[in-house]
Amino acid sequence: MNHSDNGGETMIDVNEITQQMSDLDEAALLQSLAEVINAGPESALAALQACQAGLEQVGKRFETQEYFLSDLIYAGELMTDAAALLKPALAEAGTATLGKLVICTVKGDIHDIGKNIVVTMLGAAGFDVIDLGVDVAPEVIVQTAIDNDVKIIGLSSVLTLAVDSIQATVDAFVAAGLRDQVKIIIGGNPVSATVCEKTGADAWAHNPQDGVTICRGWAS
Amino acid sequence: MIIIGEKINGTIPSTGVAIASRDSAFIADLAVRQSEAGADFIDVCASTAPEVEVEALKWLIDIVQSVTDVPISIDSPNPHAIKAVFTDIEKPGLINSVSLEADKTEVLFPLIADTEWQVVALLCDNNGIPQTSEQRLEIARQTIDCAVGYGIAPSRLHIDPLVISLSTDQTSMTKFIHCCQEIKSWYPEIHITSGLSNISFGLPLRKSINQSFLVLAMGAGMDSAIMDPLDRDMLATLLGTDALLENDRYCRKYTTAYRQGKIGKSKN
Ligand code: B12
Repeated sequence: MNHSDNGGETMIDVNEITQQMSDLDEAALLQSLAEVINAGPESALAALQACQAGLEQVGKRFETQEYFLSDLIYAGELMTDAAALLKPALAEAGTATLGKLVICTVKGDIHDIGKNIVVTMLGAAGFDVIDLGVDVAPEVIVQTAIDNDVKIIGLSSVLTLAVDSIQATVDAFVAAGLRDQVKIIIGGNPVSATVCEKTGADAWAHNPQDGVTICRGWAS
Repeated sequence: MIIIGEKINGTIPSTGVAIASRDSAFIADLAVRQSEAGADFIDVCASTAPEVEVEALKWLIDIVQSVTDVPISIDSPNPHAIKAVFTDIEKPGLINSVSLEADKTEVLFPLIADTEWQVVALLCDNNGIPQTSEQRLEIARQTIDCAVGYGIAPSRLHIDPLVISLSTDQTSMTKFIHCCQEIKSWYPEIHITSGLSNISFGLPLRKSINQSFLVLAMGAGMDSAIMDPLDRDMLATLLGTDALLENDRYCRKYTTAYRQGKIGKSKN
Protein backbone atom coordinates (compact mmCIF):
# COMPACT_ATOMS: atom_id res chain seq x y z
CA MET A 1 0.00 0.00 0.00
CA ASN A 2 1.11 3.52 -0.77
CA HIS A 3 0.31 5.39 2.38
CA SER A 4 0.17 9.08 1.87
CA ASP A 5 1.36 11.21 4.77
CA ASN A 6 -0.84 13.98 3.53
CA GLY A 7 -3.81 13.46 5.85
CA GLY A 8 -6.38 14.81 3.41
CA GLU A 9 -5.44 12.44 0.60
CA THR A 10 -6.83 8.94 0.46
CA MET A 11 -4.52 6.03 0.13
CA ILE A 12 -4.74 4.07 -3.04
CA ASP A 13 -2.40 1.40 -4.22
CA VAL A 14 -1.50 2.40 -7.74
CA ASN A 15 0.79 -0.59 -8.21
CA GLU A 16 -2.09 -2.88 -7.43
CA ILE A 17 -4.25 -1.18 -10.05
CA THR A 18 -1.47 -1.43 -12.61
CA GLN A 19 -1.09 -5.12 -11.84
CA GLN A 20 -4.82 -5.75 -12.06
CA MET A 21 -4.99 -4.09 -15.46
CA SER A 22 -1.90 -5.96 -16.59
CA ASP A 23 -3.45 -9.27 -15.44
CA LEU A 24 -6.79 -8.30 -17.05
CA ASP A 25 -8.40 -9.08 -13.71
CA GLU A 26 -11.65 -7.25 -14.40
CA ALA A 27 -13.40 -7.99 -11.11
CA ALA A 28 -10.47 -6.87 -8.98
CA LEU A 29 -9.83 -3.79 -11.11
CA LEU A 30 -13.43 -2.60 -10.98
CA GLN A 31 -13.41 -3.17 -7.24
CA SER A 32 -10.26 -1.06 -6.84
CA LEU A 33 -11.67 1.70 -9.01
CA ALA A 34 -14.90 1.72 -7.02
CA GLU A 35 -12.79 2.20 -3.89
CA VAL A 36 -10.90 5.05 -5.53
CA ILE A 37 -14.18 6.76 -6.45
CA ASN A 38 -15.70 6.23 -3.01
CA ALA A 39 -12.63 7.73 -1.41
CA GLY A 40 -13.16 10.98 -3.30
CA PRO A 41 -11.91 12.54 -6.52
CA GLU A 42 -8.28 13.21 -5.47
CA SER A 43 -6.85 9.89 -6.55
CA ALA A 44 -8.77 9.49 -9.80
CA LEU A 45 -6.00 10.80 -12.02
CA ALA A 46 -3.38 8.58 -10.35
CA ALA A 47 -5.72 5.61 -10.82
CA LEU A 48 -6.19 6.40 -14.49
CA GLN A 49 -2.44 6.64 -15.00
CA ALA A 50 -2.04 3.34 -13.17
CA CYS A 51 -4.49 1.75 -15.63
CA GLN A 52 -2.51 3.21 -18.50
CA ALA A 53 0.72 1.75 -17.08
CA GLY A 54 -1.01 -1.61 -16.79
CA LEU A 55 -2.11 -1.33 -20.39
CA GLU A 56 1.47 -0.82 -21.47
CA GLN A 57 2.34 -4.06 -19.70
CA VAL A 58 -0.49 -5.75 -21.58
CA GLY A 59 1.16 -4.58 -24.80
CA LYS A 60 4.48 -6.09 -23.70
CA ARG A 61 2.83 -9.36 -22.73
CA PHE A 62 1.22 -9.39 -26.17
CA GLU A 63 4.58 -8.90 -27.85
CA THR A 64 6.06 -11.83 -25.92
CA GLN A 65 3.07 -13.96 -27.01
CA GLU A 66 1.84 -14.47 -23.50
CA TYR A 67 -1.31 -12.56 -24.45
CA PHE A 68 -3.31 -13.01 -27.62
CA LEU A 69 -5.28 -10.68 -29.84
CA SER A 70 -8.53 -11.27 -27.96
CA ASP A 71 -6.73 -10.25 -24.74
CA LEU A 72 -5.58 -7.02 -26.38
CA ILE A 73 -9.09 -6.15 -27.47
CA TYR A 74 -10.37 -7.02 -24.01
CA ALA A 75 -7.72 -4.72 -22.51
CA GLY A 76 -8.93 -1.88 -24.73
CA GLU A 77 -12.50 -2.43 -23.50
CA LEU A 78 -11.35 -2.55 -19.88
CA MET A 79 -9.46 0.71 -20.32
CA THR A 80 -12.53 2.35 -21.82
CA ASP A 81 -14.66 1.09 -18.92
CA ALA A 82 -12.10 2.27 -16.39
CA ALA A 83 -11.99 5.74 -17.91
CA ALA A 84 -15.78 5.96 -18.02
CA LEU A 85 -15.92 5.02 -14.33
CA LEU A 86 -13.29 7.56 -13.35
CA LYS A 87 -14.57 10.37 -15.55
CA PRO A 88 -17.01 11.95 -13.07
CA ALA A 89 -14.39 11.86 -10.34
CA LEU A 90 -11.83 13.39 -12.68
CA ALA A 91 -14.24 16.17 -13.55
CA GLU A 92 -14.89 16.77 -9.84
CA ALA A 93 -11.18 16.92 -9.18
CA GLY A 94 -11.37 20.11 -11.18
CA THR A 95 -9.56 19.12 -14.32
CA ALA A 96 -9.67 22.20 -16.49
CA THR A 97 -11.87 22.28 -19.58
CA LEU A 98 -9.47 22.47 -22.45
CA GLY A 99 -11.90 22.88 -25.33
CA LYS A 100 -12.76 20.75 -28.30
CA LEU A 101 -10.54 18.40 -30.24
CA VAL A 102 -11.19 16.10 -33.21
CA ILE A 103 -9.57 12.68 -33.42
CA CYS A 104 -9.91 9.63 -35.65
CA THR A 105 -8.12 6.81 -37.39
CA VAL A 106 -7.34 7.95 -40.91
CA LYS A 107 -8.81 6.71 -44.19
CA GLY A 108 -7.99 3.12 -45.11
CA ASP A 109 -7.18 2.10 -41.54
CA ILE A 110 -9.62 0.47 -39.15
CA HIS A 111 -7.35 -0.09 -36.12
CA ASP A 112 -8.80 1.73 -33.16
CA ILE A 113 -7.53 0.14 -29.95
CA GLY A 114 -4.66 2.63 -29.68
CA LYS A 115 -6.77 5.58 -30.81
CA ASN A 116 -9.42 4.73 -28.21
CA ILE A 117 -6.82 4.79 -25.49
CA VAL A 118 -5.70 8.23 -26.61
CA VAL A 119 -9.35 9.37 -26.68
CA THR A 120 -9.77 8.16 -23.12
CA MET A 121 -6.63 9.96 -21.96
CA LEU A 122 -7.58 13.20 -23.71
CA GLY A 123 -11.07 13.07 -22.25
CA ALA A 124 -9.65 12.51 -18.81
CA ALA A 125 -7.30 15.45 -19.29
CA GLY A 126 -10.28 17.74 -19.83
CA PHE A 127 -10.71 17.84 -23.60
CA ASP A 128 -14.12 17.68 -25.18
CA VAL A 129 -13.21 14.96 -27.66
CA ILE A 130 -15.05 14.54 -30.95
CA ASP A 131 -14.18 10.99 -31.97
CA LEU A 132 -14.95 10.36 -35.63
CA GLY A 133 -14.08 6.67 -35.44
CA VAL A 134 -12.07 4.77 -38.05
CA ASP A 135 -11.44 4.96 -41.79
CA VAL A 136 -12.30 8.67 -41.89
CA ALA A 137 -11.92 10.64 -45.13
CA PRO A 138 -9.96 13.95 -45.08
CA GLU A 139 -13.03 15.97 -46.17
CA VAL A 140 -15.01 14.70 -43.18
CA ILE A 141 -12.26 15.71 -40.79
CA VAL A 142 -11.96 19.18 -42.31
CA GLN A 143 -15.73 19.71 -42.32
CA THR A 144 -16.04 18.61 -38.69
CA ALA A 145 -13.28 21.00 -37.70
CA ILE A 146 -15.10 23.85 -39.47
CA ASP A 147 -18.54 22.98 -38.09
CA ASN A 148 -17.31 22.75 -34.52
CA ASP A 149 -14.65 25.42 -34.65
CA VAL A 150 -11.99 22.96 -33.57
CA LYS A 151 -8.33 23.94 -33.49
CA ILE A 152 -6.67 20.63 -32.61
CA ILE A 153 -6.71 17.53 -34.81
CA GLY A 154 -5.41 14.10 -33.73
CA LEU A 155 -4.79 11.49 -36.41
CA SER A 156 -4.06 7.86 -35.75
CA SER A 157 -2.48 5.60 -38.33
CA VAL A 158 -1.48 2.05 -37.53
CA LEU A 159 -0.95 0.80 -41.08
CA THR A 160 2.18 2.00 -42.85
CA LEU A 161 0.04 2.52 -45.95
CA ALA A 162 -2.27 4.86 -44.06
CA VAL A 163 0.56 7.36 -43.67
CA ASP A 164 -0.54 8.50 -47.14
CA SER A 165 -3.92 9.34 -45.63
CA ILE A 166 -2.22 11.51 -43.02
CA GLN A 167 -0.61 13.36 -45.88
CA ALA A 168 -3.96 13.68 -47.67
CA THR A 169 -5.59 15.01 -44.52
CA VAL A 170 -2.92 17.65 -43.96
CA ASP A 171 -3.22 18.62 -47.63
CA ALA A 172 -7.01 18.92 -47.27
CA PHE A 173 -6.54 21.47 -44.48
CA VAL A 174 -4.13 23.38 -46.72
CA ALA A 175 -6.62 23.29 -49.59
CA ALA A 176 -9.37 24.56 -47.31
CA GLY A 177 -7.16 27.47 -46.34
CA LEU A 178 -7.16 26.39 -42.70
CA ARG A 179 -3.70 24.94 -42.24
CA ASP A 180 -2.43 27.83 -40.14
CA GLN A 181 -5.52 27.79 -37.94
CA VAL A 182 -5.27 24.17 -36.72
CA LYS A 183 -2.63 22.11 -34.96
CA ILE A 184 -2.28 18.52 -36.14
CA ILE A 185 -0.81 15.74 -34.01
CA ILE A 186 -0.24 12.28 -35.42
CA GLY A 187 0.30 8.95 -33.68
CA GLY A 188 0.43 5.22 -34.23
CA ASN A 189 3.24 2.78 -34.84
CA PRO A 190 4.50 3.86 -38.30
CA VAL A 191 4.59 7.49 -37.27
CA SER A 192 7.96 9.12 -36.57
CA ALA A 193 9.76 12.46 -36.67
CA THR A 194 10.50 11.80 -40.34
CA VAL A 195 6.85 11.08 -41.11
CA CYS A 196 5.82 14.16 -39.17
CA GLU A 197 8.16 16.38 -41.14
CA LYS A 198 7.33 14.81 -44.49
CA THR A 199 3.55 15.06 -44.07
CA GLY A 200 3.69 18.53 -42.60
CA ALA A 201 1.98 17.64 -39.33
CA ASP A 202 2.81 19.77 -36.27
CA ALA A 203 3.71 17.04 -33.79
CA TRP A 204 3.83 13.30 -33.30
CA ALA A 205 3.78 10.88 -30.36
CA HIS A 206 3.76 7.19 -29.62
CA ASN A 207 3.16 7.55 -25.95
CA PRO A 208 -0.40 8.84 -25.39
CA GLN A 209 0.66 10.77 -22.31
CA ASP A 210 3.14 12.74 -24.44
CA GLY A 211 0.34 13.36 -26.92
CA VAL A 212 -1.88 14.72 -24.16
CA THR A 213 0.89 16.99 -22.92
CA ILE A 214 1.40 18.42 -26.41
CA CYS A 215 -2.33 19.01 -26.93
CA ARG A 216 -2.63 20.62 -23.51
CA GLY A 217 0.18 22.98 -24.47
CA TRP A 218 -1.67 23.98 -27.62
CA ALA A 219 -4.95 24.49 -25.80
CA SER A 220 -3.61 27.03 -23.34
CA MET B 1 -19.88 -25.53 -19.59
CA ILE B 2 -20.11 -27.57 -16.40
CA ILE B 3 -17.44 -30.24 -16.00
CA ILE B 4 -18.12 -33.22 -13.77
CA GLY B 5 -14.71 -34.82 -13.19
CA GLU B 6 -15.04 -38.57 -13.59
CA LYS B 7 -11.65 -39.85 -12.40
CA ILE B 8 -12.61 -41.05 -8.93
CA ASN B 9 -14.55 -44.10 -10.07
CA GLY B 10 -13.89 -47.65 -8.94
CA THR B 11 -14.58 -49.01 -12.41
CA ILE B 12 -11.33 -47.38 -13.56
CA PRO B 13 -8.83 -50.16 -12.69
CA SER B 14 -6.19 -47.97 -10.98
CA THR B 15 -8.83 -46.15 -8.95
CA GLY B 16 -10.47 -49.48 -8.09
CA VAL B 17 -7.19 -50.72 -6.68
CA ALA B 18 -6.69 -47.50 -4.73
CA ILE B 19 -10.16 -47.83 -3.21
CA ALA B 20 -9.65 -51.48 -2.29
CA SER B 21 -6.29 -50.74 -0.66
CA ARG B 22 -7.49 -47.43 0.87
CA ASP B 23 -4.73 -45.49 -0.85
CA SER B 24 -5.81 -42.03 0.25
CA ALA B 25 -2.88 -40.22 -1.41
CA PHE B 26 -3.93 -41.56 -4.80
CA ILE B 27 -7.52 -40.36 -4.35
CA ALA B 28 -6.44 -36.98 -2.97
CA ASP B 29 -4.19 -36.46 -5.98
CA LEU B 30 -7.05 -37.16 -8.39
CA ALA B 31 -9.28 -34.73 -6.52
CA VAL B 32 -6.68 -31.96 -6.53
CA ARG B 33 -5.67 -32.36 -10.16
CA GLN B 34 -9.25 -32.41 -11.39
CA SER B 35 -10.03 -29.30 -9.34
CA GLU B 36 -7.02 -27.50 -10.76
CA ALA B 37 -8.03 -28.49 -14.28
CA GLY B 38 -11.33 -26.71 -13.73
CA ALA B 39 -13.81 -29.40 -12.70
CA ASP B 40 -17.05 -27.94 -11.34
CA PHE B 41 -17.93 -31.15 -9.51
CA ILE B 42 -15.76 -34.08 -8.43
CA ASP B 43 -17.62 -37.30 -9.09
CA VAL B 44 -17.19 -39.96 -6.41
CA CYS B 45 -18.20 -43.50 -7.34
CA ALA B 46 -17.02 -46.49 -5.31
CA SER B 47 -18.17 -49.36 -7.56
CA THR B 48 -17.48 -51.83 -4.81
CA ALA B 49 -19.64 -54.72 -3.65
CA PRO B 50 -22.96 -53.35 -2.33
CA GLU B 51 -22.32 -54.34 1.30
CA VAL B 52 -19.15 -52.25 1.53
CA GLU B 53 -20.17 -49.40 -0.75
CA VAL B 54 -21.36 -46.97 1.91
CA GLU B 55 -18.16 -47.36 3.88
CA ALA B 56 -16.06 -46.84 0.76
CA LEU B 57 -18.06 -43.78 -0.26
CA LYS B 58 -17.63 -42.21 3.18
CA TRP B 59 -13.90 -42.79 3.00
CA LEU B 60 -13.77 -41.19 -0.49
CA ILE B 61 -15.93 -38.24 0.51
CA ASP B 62 -13.72 -37.48 3.50
CA ILE B 63 -10.59 -37.41 1.39
CA VAL B 64 -12.07 -35.29 -1.38
CA GLN B 65 -13.50 -32.74 1.07
CA SER B 66 -10.22 -32.45 2.90
CA VAL B 67 -8.27 -31.43 -0.22
CA THR B 68 -10.67 -29.40 -2.36
CA ASP B 69 -13.59 -26.98 -2.11
CA VAL B 70 -15.05 -28.21 -5.37
CA PRO B 71 -18.44 -29.75 -4.63
CA ILE B 72 -18.94 -33.50 -4.82
CA SER B 73 -21.02 -35.40 -7.34
CA ILE B 74 -22.17 -38.43 -5.39
CA ASP B 75 -22.43 -41.34 -7.76
CA SER B 76 -24.10 -44.68 -7.10
CA PRO B 77 -26.70 -46.84 -8.83
CA ASN B 78 -28.18 -47.44 -5.39
CA PRO B 79 -30.25 -44.48 -4.11
CA HIS B 80 -30.11 -45.87 -0.58
CA ALA B 81 -26.31 -45.74 -0.61
CA ILE B 82 -26.50 -42.09 -1.67
CA LYS B 83 -29.00 -41.39 1.09
CA ALA B 84 -26.76 -43.09 3.63
CA VAL B 85 -23.80 -40.82 2.92
CA PHE B 86 -25.75 -37.67 2.10
CA THR B 87 -25.22 -35.95 5.44
CA ASP B 88 -21.48 -36.60 5.29
CA ILE B 89 -21.22 -34.18 2.39
CA GLU B 90 -20.52 -30.68 3.65
CA LYS B 91 -21.71 -28.50 0.81
CA PRO B 92 -24.48 -28.87 -1.77
CA GLY B 93 -23.30 -30.90 -4.73
CA LEU B 94 -24.75 -33.13 -7.38
CA ILE B 95 -26.67 -36.40 -7.06
CA ASN B 96 -25.56 -38.79 -9.80
CA SER B 97 -28.14 -40.04 -10.57
CA VAL B 98 -31.89 -40.61 -10.58
CA SER B 99 -34.09 -42.12 -13.27
CA LEU B 100 -37.63 -43.40 -13.36
CA GLU B 101 -36.31 -46.85 -12.38
CA ALA B 102 -37.66 -48.40 -9.17
CA ASP B 103 -37.81 -45.98 -6.22
CA LYS B 104 -34.96 -43.66 -7.17
CA THR B 105 -36.89 -40.40 -7.38
CA GLU B 106 -38.93 -41.25 -4.29
CA VAL B 107 -35.79 -41.77 -2.24
CA LEU B 108 -33.65 -38.95 -3.60
CA PHE B 109 -35.94 -36.07 -4.56
CA PRO B 110 -37.28 -35.52 -1.02
CA LEU B 111 -33.69 -35.55 0.23
CA ILE B 112 -32.70 -32.54 -1.87
CA ALA B 113 -36.08 -30.81 -2.09
CA ASP B 114 -35.25 -27.81 0.08
CA THR B 115 -31.56 -27.60 -0.69
CA GLU B 116 -29.31 -26.22 -3.40
CA TRP B 117 -28.32 -29.69 -4.53
CA GLN B 118 -28.43 -30.45 -8.23
CA VAL B 119 -29.25 -33.81 -9.73
CA VAL B 120 -28.47 -35.83 -12.83
CA ALA B 121 -31.56 -37.50 -14.30
CA LEU B 122 -31.09 -40.36 -16.77
CA LEU B 123 -33.79 -40.81 -19.36
CA CYS B 124 -34.63 -44.43 -18.64
CA ASP B 125 -37.29 -46.26 -16.66
CA ASN B 126 -38.17 -49.76 -15.54
CA ASN B 127 -38.25 -50.83 -19.19
CA GLY B 128 -34.63 -49.77 -19.70
CA ILE B 129 -33.33 -47.25 -22.22
CA PRO B 130 -36.01 -46.41 -24.72
CA GLN B 131 -35.34 -46.78 -28.43
CA THR B 132 -36.88 -43.62 -29.79
CA SER B 133 -36.34 -39.96 -28.96
CA GLU B 134 -40.07 -39.58 -28.44
CA GLN B 135 -40.03 -42.15 -25.66
CA ARG B 136 -37.04 -40.50 -24.05
CA LEU B 137 -38.69 -37.11 -24.22
CA GLU B 138 -41.75 -38.59 -22.58
CA ILE B 139 -39.53 -39.80 -19.72
CA ALA B 140 -37.92 -36.36 -19.57
CA ARG B 141 -41.37 -34.78 -19.20
CA GLN B 142 -42.30 -37.15 -16.37
CA THR B 143 -38.97 -36.65 -14.59
CA ILE B 144 -39.15 -32.87 -14.79
CA ASP B 145 -42.77 -32.83 -13.61
CA CYS B 146 -41.85 -35.11 -10.75
CA ALA B 147 -38.91 -32.90 -9.74
CA VAL B 148 -40.98 -29.75 -9.94
CA GLY B 149 -43.58 -31.50 -7.78
CA TYR B 150 -40.91 -31.75 -5.08
CA GLY B 151 -40.00 -28.10 -5.51
CA ILE B 152 -36.84 -28.87 -7.49
CA ALA B 153 -36.51 -26.21 -10.19
CA PRO B 154 -35.53 -27.29 -13.73
CA SER B 155 -32.32 -25.24 -13.38
CA ARG B 156 -31.13 -27.83 -10.82
CA LEU B 157 -31.57 -30.74 -13.21
CA HIS B 158 -28.90 -32.20 -15.46
CA ILE B 159 -30.81 -34.33 -17.93
CA ASP B 160 -28.72 -37.14 -19.41
CA PRO B 161 -30.47 -38.32 -22.60
CA LEU B 162 -28.14 -41.35 -22.54
CA VAL B 163 -25.87 -42.18 -25.42
CA ILE B 164 -25.84 -45.63 -26.94
CA SER B 165 -22.58 -46.47 -28.66
CA LEU B 166 -22.49 -45.35 -32.26
CA SER B 167 -21.17 -48.78 -33.22
CA THR B 168 -24.48 -50.36 -32.27
CA ASP B 169 -26.87 -47.52 -33.07
CA GLN B 170 -26.20 -45.33 -36.09
CA THR B 171 -28.83 -42.83 -34.94
CA SER B 172 -27.30 -42.34 -31.50
CA MET B 173 -25.91 -38.86 -32.07
CA THR B 174 -28.85 -37.56 -34.05
CA LYS B 175 -31.23 -38.80 -31.34
CA PHE B 176 -29.13 -37.11 -28.70
CA ILE B 177 -29.22 -33.84 -30.62
CA HIS B 178 -32.96 -34.07 -31.05
CA CYS B 179 -33.49 -34.67 -27.32
CA CYS B 180 -31.15 -31.81 -26.39
CA GLN B 181 -32.87 -29.29 -28.60
CA GLU B 182 -36.35 -30.35 -27.59
CA ILE B 183 -35.69 -30.30 -23.83
CA LYS B 184 -33.87 -26.97 -24.03
CA SER B 185 -36.84 -25.54 -25.89
CA TRP B 186 -39.09 -26.44 -22.95
CA TYR B 187 -36.74 -25.11 -20.28
CA PRO B 188 -33.72 -23.10 -21.48
CA GLU B 189 -32.35 -23.12 -17.92
CA ILE B 190 -32.24 -26.90 -17.65
CA HIS B 191 -28.82 -28.56 -18.00
CA ILE B 192 -28.15 -31.34 -20.47
CA THR B 193 -25.31 -33.65 -19.58
CA SER B 194 -23.72 -36.82 -20.82
CA GLY B 195 -21.23 -39.46 -19.77
CA LEU B 196 -20.08 -39.07 -23.29
CA SER B 197 -17.32 -41.64 -23.75
CA ASN B 198 -19.94 -44.34 -24.24
CA ILE B 199 -20.56 -43.00 -27.73
CA SER B 200 -17.27 -44.44 -29.03
CA PHE B 201 -17.55 -47.89 -27.44
CA GLY B 202 -16.53 -50.61 -29.88
CA LEU B 203 -14.81 -48.26 -32.34
CA PRO B 204 -11.13 -47.53 -32.96
CA LEU B 205 -9.68 -44.08 -32.18
CA ARG B 206 -12.30 -43.50 -29.53
CA LYS B 207 -10.90 -40.13 -28.59
CA SER B 208 -11.68 -38.71 -32.01
CA ILE B 209 -15.32 -39.81 -31.80
CA ASN B 210 -15.58 -38.48 -28.26
CA GLN B 211 -14.32 -35.06 -29.31
CA SER B 212 -16.65 -34.88 -32.28
CA PHE B 213 -19.53 -35.89 -30.04
CA LEU B 214 -18.65 -33.16 -27.58
CA VAL B 215 -18.64 -30.49 -30.28
CA LEU B 216 -21.92 -31.57 -31.86
CA ALA B 217 -23.63 -32.06 -28.51
CA MET B 218 -22.54 -28.65 -27.24
CA GLY B 219 -23.78 -27.17 -30.48
CA ALA B 220 -27.16 -28.71 -29.73
CA GLY B 221 -27.26 -27.26 -26.22
CA MET B 222 -25.44 -29.74 -23.99
CA ASP B 223 -23.89 -27.62 -21.24
CA SER B 224 -22.61 -30.19 -18.77
CA ALA B 225 -20.46 -33.30 -19.20
CA ILE B 226 -19.17 -36.16 -17.12
CA MET B 227 -15.62 -36.39 -18.40
CA ASP B 228 -11.92 -36.50 -17.64
CA PRO B 229 -10.75 -32.89 -17.20
CA LEU B 230 -7.15 -34.14 -17.20
CA ASP B 231 -7.51 -35.17 -20.84
CA ARG B 232 -5.83 -32.11 -22.38
CA ASP B 233 -7.15 -32.62 -25.90
CA MET B 234 -10.69 -33.09 -24.69
CA LEU B 235 -10.44 -30.02 -22.49
CA ALA B 236 -9.05 -27.95 -25.38
CA THR B 237 -11.94 -29.06 -27.58
CA LEU B 238 -14.40 -28.19 -24.85
CA LEU B 239 -12.97 -24.74 -24.18
CA GLY B 240 -12.60 -23.97 -27.88
CA THR B 241 -16.17 -25.01 -28.57
CA ASP B 242 -17.47 -22.96 -25.66
CA ALA B 243 -15.69 -19.90 -27.07
CA LEU B 244 -17.12 -20.57 -30.53
CA LEU B 245 -20.58 -20.77 -28.99
CA GLU B 246 -20.22 -17.30 -27.46
CA ASN B 247 -19.88 -18.64 -23.94
CA ASP B 248 -16.41 -17.24 -23.31
CA ARG B 249 -16.01 -13.46 -23.38
CA TYR B 250 -12.91 -12.42 -25.28
CA CYS B 251 -11.85 -16.11 -25.32
CA ARG B 252 -10.58 -15.50 -21.79
CA LYS B 253 -11.12 -19.02 -20.45
CA TYR B 254 -9.55 -20.53 -23.52
CA THR B 255 -6.45 -18.33 -23.56
CA THR B 256 -6.07 -18.49 -19.79
CA ALA B 257 -6.17 -22.29 -19.81
CA TYR B 258 -3.49 -22.21 -22.50
CA ARG B 259 -1.33 -19.81 -20.51
CA GLN B 260 -1.69 -21.98 -17.45
CA GLY B 261 -0.57 -24.99 -19.46
CA LYS B 262 -3.85 -26.85 -19.01
CA ILE B 263 -4.28 -27.22 -22.75
CA GLY B 264 -1.82 -27.30 -25.62
CA LYS B 265 1.62 -28.81 -25.55
CA SER B 266 2.50 -29.99 -22.07
CA LYS B 267 5.04 -27.62 -20.51
CA ASN B 268 6.69 -30.16 -18.27
C1 B12 C 1 -5.34 -5.55 -33.19
C2 B12 C 1 -4.85 -5.58 -34.63
C3 B12 C 1 -5.79 -5.67 -35.64
C4 B12 C 1 -7.28 -5.72 -35.36
C5 B12 C 1 -7.77 -4.31 -35.10
C6 B12 C 1 -8.90 -4.26 -34.11
C7 B12 C 1 -9.15 -2.86 -33.68
N1 B12 C 1 -10.39 -2.65 -33.29
O1 B12 C 1 -8.30 -2.00 -33.68
C8 B12 C 1 -7.80 -6.32 -36.69
C9 B12 C 1 -7.82 -7.82 -36.55
C10 B12 C 1 -9.19 -5.85 -37.13
C11 B12 C 1 -6.69 -5.94 -37.64
C12 B12 C 1 -6.86 -5.86 -39.01
C13 B12 C 1 -5.82 -5.63 -39.88
N2 B12 C 1 -4.52 -5.52 -39.59
CO1 B12 C 1 -3.88 -5.41 -37.81
N3 B12 C 1 -3.07 -5.53 -36.17
C14 B12 C 1 -3.47 -5.52 -34.92
C15 B12 C 1 -2.30 -5.65 -33.93
C16 B12 C 1 -2.24 -7.11 -33.50
C17 B12 C 1 -2.36 -4.76 -32.72
C18 B12 C 1 -2.59 -3.29 -32.98
C19 B12 C 1 -2.93 -2.64 -31.67
O2 B12 C 1 -4.08 -2.43 -31.36
N4 B12 C 1 -1.92 -2.37 -30.85
C20 B12 C 1 -2.09 -1.88 -29.48
C21 B12 C 1 -2.29 -0.36 -29.44
C22 B12 C 1 -2.54 0.05 -27.99
O3 B12 C 1 -1.11 0.26 -29.92
P1 B12 C 1 -1.08 1.37 -31.06
O4 B12 C 1 -2.12 1.16 -32.05
O5 B12 C 1 0.30 1.49 -31.53
O6 B12 C 1 -1.46 2.71 -30.29
C23 B12 C 1 -0.64 3.31 -29.31
C24 B12 C 1 0.33 4.35 -29.87
O7 B12 C 1 0.71 4.10 -31.19
C25 B12 C 1 -0.33 5.65 -29.68
N5 B12 C 1 -1.24 6.18 -30.69
C26 B12 C 1 -2.02 5.55 -31.57
N6 B12 C 1 -2.76 6.41 -32.26
C27 B12 C 1 -2.44 7.64 -31.84
C28 B12 C 1 -2.92 8.88 -32.21
C29 B12 C 1 -2.41 10.02 -31.57
C30 B12 C 1 -2.95 11.33 -31.96
C31 B12 C 1 -1.42 9.87 -30.56
C32 B12 C 1 -0.89 11.06 -29.92
C33 B12 C 1 -0.94 8.62 -30.20
C34 B12 C 1 -1.47 7.50 -30.82
O8 B12 C 1 -1.04 5.45 -28.50
C35 B12 C 1 -1.54 4.12 -28.42
C36 B12 C 1 -1.60 3.69 -27.01
O9 B12 C 1 -0.34 3.43 -26.46
C37 B12 C 1 -1.08 -5.26 -34.83
C38 B12 C 1 0.22 -6.01 -34.54
C39 B12 C 1 0.99 -5.47 -33.40
N7 B12 C 1 1.58 -6.35 -32.67
O10 B12 C 1 1.00 -4.28 -33.16
C40 B12 C 1 -1.58 -5.61 -36.23
C41 B12 C 1 -1.11 -4.78 -37.44
C42 B12 C 1 -1.15 -3.32 -37.06
N8 B12 C 1 -2.13 -5.06 -38.45
C43 B12 C 1 -1.61 -5.15 -39.61
C44 B12 C 1 -2.37 -5.42 -40.78
C45 B12 C 1 -1.60 -5.55 -42.07
C46 B12 C 1 -3.75 -5.54 -40.72
C47 B12 C 1 -4.69 -5.85 -41.89
C48 B12 C 1 -4.40 -5.10 -43.19
C49 B12 C 1 -4.65 -7.36 -42.10
C50 B12 C 1 -5.40 -7.88 -43.29
N9 B12 C 1 -4.65 -8.38 -44.20
O11 B12 C 1 -6.60 -7.83 -43.33
C51 B12 C 1 -6.06 -5.46 -41.33
C52 B12 C 1 -6.31 -3.96 -41.52
C53 B12 C 1 -7.48 -3.60 -42.21
C54 B12 C 1 -7.51 -2.09 -42.25
N10 B12 C 1 -7.97 -1.56 -43.33
O12 B12 C 1 -7.11 -1.42 -41.34
C55 B12 C 1 -0.11 -4.93 -39.62
C56 B12 C 1 0.27 -3.54 -40.13
C57 B12 C 1 1.50 -3.63 -40.99
C58 B12 C 1 1.91 -2.29 -41.38
N11 B12 C 1 3.05 -1.88 -40.87
O13 B12 C 1 1.22 -1.61 -42.10
C59 B12 C 1 0.23 -5.19 -38.16
C60 B12 C 1 1.46 -4.42 -37.64
C61 B12 C 1 0.46 -6.72 -38.03
C62 B12 C 1 1.66 -7.21 -38.78
N12 B12 C 1 2.78 -7.41 -38.13
O14 B12 C 1 1.56 -7.44 -39.97
N13 B12 C 1 -5.56 -5.74 -36.98
